[in-house]
Amino acid sequence: MQKIPLMLAKAGMVLARDVFRGDSPVGMPICGKDTVLTDSLITRLDQMDVQTVYVDGHPVWEEGERTFDELLQSLDMRFEKSRQEPLNSMLYDIYKAYLAKSMGA
Amino acid sequence: MEDKRSELKKIIMDTRTLPTLPNVINKLNALSDNDKASVQEMARIVSSDQVLSARILRLANSPSYGFYRVSTISNAMILLGVNVVKSLALSSSIFAIMEKNSVGLWEHSLGVGVAANLLARKLGLPECEEIATAALLHDIGKVIVSLKCSEAAKEIQDLVDERHLYTMDAEHEVIGTDHAEIGGWLSKSWFLPDKLSEPIAFHHDVDKSQNHRIKTSVVHIADVLIKASGFGNSGDRYVPVMQQIAWDTLKLNEQIMTELVTEIEDKLVEVRNFSLEMMSE
Repeated sequence: MQKIPLMLAKAGMVLARDVFRGDSPVGMPICGKDTVLTDSLITRLDQMDVQTVYVDGHPVWEEGERTFDELLQSLDMRFEKSRQEPLNSMLYDIYKAYLAKSMGA
Repeated sequence: MEDKRSELKKIIMDTRTLPTLPNVINKLNALSDNDKASVQEMARIVSSDQVLSARILRLANSPSYGFYRVSTISNAMILLGVNVVKSLALSSSIFAIMEKNSVGLWEHSLGVGVAANLLARKLGLPECEEIATAALLHDIGKVIVSLKCSEAAKEIQDLVDERHLYTMDAEHEVIGTDHAEIGGWLSKSWFLPDKLSEPIAFHHDVDKSQNHRIKTSVVHIADVLIKASGFGNSGDRYVPVMQQIAWDTLKLNEQIMTELVTEIEDKLVEVRNFSLEMMSE
């Protein structure tokens, strides 16, 4: 899941969270999660003053952001001392799977 | 080494320079222990602190509680419950101490607070708010070390960087004690209840926790999870070993863990933005 400005949203991306009017979670949801964005939907959201949306995966690359490989490398480093322990080894696998899923790798 | 430890204890417990909790919290603690105290009295004390009042009203009006338009502190206290208000008062004043000190450690603590809260709720444990507060405070000992003995703190960090030690081991080498024990001393001197001081003092050694082992286990697991996630900076480079006793106490399994990791990471996206906002304020 990634939070991106609506400006960078493209048709085909999938909403990971409900979108609320004026970005405030108090009001009415105007678009449910799991909706596939289309150009006209993005224009409508823009007209309703929505500025950011949460989308599935990691479709937008910002400058200075780390790639999946880099993230995996630092995960390996963090687990360097404890990975041989059964519980930590399980946790490592869970995090690795999570990273792969969230980065769309 | 024992000398060093007791010397350090003396320095740390020197009340004249110890960071103190705002008066509001001491008064609230005293009142809530007193059966005859009324919510109105407590509300009057809270109202004397405008930042705290604002936070409480904000929380009471937040959609997660589902009440609307709560405008008085006493109504908010009735709706939220005295314990929530006390936790909120405590954690917001700890933030003030920690925030100035180290953003990385503050973020780590915030992350562990979030993780502990999610884990406690997932397991349906009682007193989730207290567990989250204990988790927020679990590394308070590190703040004290860097406030009171900044040279030792630097030496510890150098050891961690050069010899790739766990912070705990480096602390034992340099100061003969560790941040968990120091946090325990501090919470005693602040007269915090056992359910907070035990998880703080034993979050690296769940085995030693006698009366509140469940809470201690949650804080320990949350700490390991946030270190695994790499959120914030606790000063430790490595994920500590997850203790079997904590795992068994909470009767965890792989499926709960997998779900929890996703929930935590989803929540951390928000926390990350929140801490950026706090920094820019």
